Amino acid sequence: MPTLTMPRPVIEMRDVSLCYRLAKQKIPSFKEYALHWMRGALTYEQLWALRDVTLRVERGESLGIVGKNGAGKSTLLKVISRVLPPTSGRALVHGRVAPILELGSGFDFELTGQENVYLNALLLGHPKREIEKRFDAIVEFSGLGDFIRTPIRNYSSGMLSRLAFSILTAWTPDILVLDESLAVGDVHFVKKCEERIAELQAHGTTLLLVSHFGEAVRAHCRRCIWLESGRLRADGRPDEVLAIYEESSEVALVANPADATISA
Amino acid sequence: MRGLYEHSDLVWYLVGRDLRVRYRRSTIGLLWTLLQPLIMMLVLYVVFSHVFRFQVYRYPVYALAGILFWNFFQQSIVASMNSLRGNAAILQKLPVPKAVFPVATVISGVVNLCLALVPLLAILVATGQPLRPALLFLPVSILLAALFTLGAGLLLSPLAVFFHDVVELVGVVLMLLMYLTPIFYPMAIVPEQFRWMVRYNPIRSVLEVFRDPIYYGKIPPLPHVAVTVVIALVALAIGAAAFRKSSDRIPFYI
Repeated sequence: MPTLTMPRPVIEMRDVSLCYRLAKQKIPSFKEYALHWMRGALTYEQLWALRDVTLRVERGESLGIVGKNGAGKSTLLKVISRVLPPTSGRALVHGRVAPILELGSGFDFELTGQENVYLNALLLGHPKREIEKRFDAIVEFSGLGDFIRTPIRNYSSGMLSRLAFSILTAWTPDILVLDESLAVGDVHFVKKCEERIAELQAHGTTLLLVSHFGEAVRAHCRRCIWLESGRLRADGRPDEVLAIYEESSEVALVANPADATISA
Repeated sequence: MRGLYEHSDLVWYLVGRDLRVRYRRSTIGLLWTLLQPLIMMLVLYVVFSHVFRFQVYRYPVYALAGILFWNFFQQSIVASMNSLRGNAAILQKLPVPKAVFPVATVISGVVNLCLALVPLLAILVATGQPLRPALLFLPVSILLAALFTLGAGLLLSPLAVFFHDVVELVGVVLMLLMYLTPIFYPMAIVPEQFRWMVRYNPIRSVLEVFRDPIYYGKIPPLPHVAVTVVIALVALAIGAAAFRKSSDRIPFYI
């Protein structure tokens, strides 16, 4: 373990709430807005995606985040990535956050793999000189070989996620955000990824792993939180938290048989 | 705006990407940048000198300079408005300073403008016009046009995120503004009672600072340049303030 001069948490959230203010009329056009505004008929629906979340994550921790769709997982990550400012409360995040992007969202399909390495890494905030230095290592880790010079619209989804992961982890971020989509792909590469993640963790990277299911969290995390309707429902050891999470999901499934058939 | 400087590598890369996507794999892209204004100018020339029978001194140069300026202004604004929405996936995930997108758009517009200047200078030479030293003033003119356009782009691009029909609305307003700017007609043909509308149109000042060195071969009068500097800086200040104010709300709506 590297010696730490001052053990301060990488994430410090106190009573963080975040509200999406949605117009009930929900027509995002200026004409409609003006018409409704003139009639005084603009009403808004408040959707609280996060409510009073207090969370402290230390350097080097591995935290799983579980919860159903719409529980607030991605909103929480957006607050941590400094994309969305909280509506109330205080969110302090120290250091660089590297979020895995959904397949291709930081990529330009007209460009080659090589050009996308630059684009993606620049978007993550790395200067060009740094990227030049690590370019070969990125390509090597991705295993794309000569494909790096072809436009990525010809890539398979596996190739895209290999490239995305290679760029993301070429630097040691303070916080690495992953989701379970990583587990898709060939066995060999998944193993390489796991080694790389372990390496980053050894250097103090905090891992945040978002998941619908418990498996990935059980395998990779020492701590787990469960979000429901924007609230922090549980925080503790993965087996404990997952036990009550899964129990509550099962209860919900029984209560709503339609859901059960879908998730089965 | 803070962080824009730290992300200057990203800005330049986005500019390069714009240009590459436009000009790669096809000479059509480049040809179009060069030919489109020329074709437009020819049409206007025929209409003006043969249909309306106006005689304007060296009309091709006058009109072409106007068209290049207007293309730059209009295309940059439309592209700025699309730049945020086009990069929605990134803006939802990464804390990139949002202004990089409109800024890069306007810079690549400047590059396109400079490319399109080449045929204009060729026409100057072909029509027996000497290349005057006043042309060296053009970089200043283009810088002023770019600052002014960036101001408009920064003001309008968040609006395009909040309301999807703003792009069409702005299209209509731009068309109106085009007729209120002496792009392809000379000031002299504007009837007296409407002239104030054209005269006090700030875009006209920016246009003339650009066109004077080309058309008259003279550096524009100093008071006129000073007024244009003020116009460009005010536009930029308004745009930057509006952008900063709405910046935090963009990821909520995109």
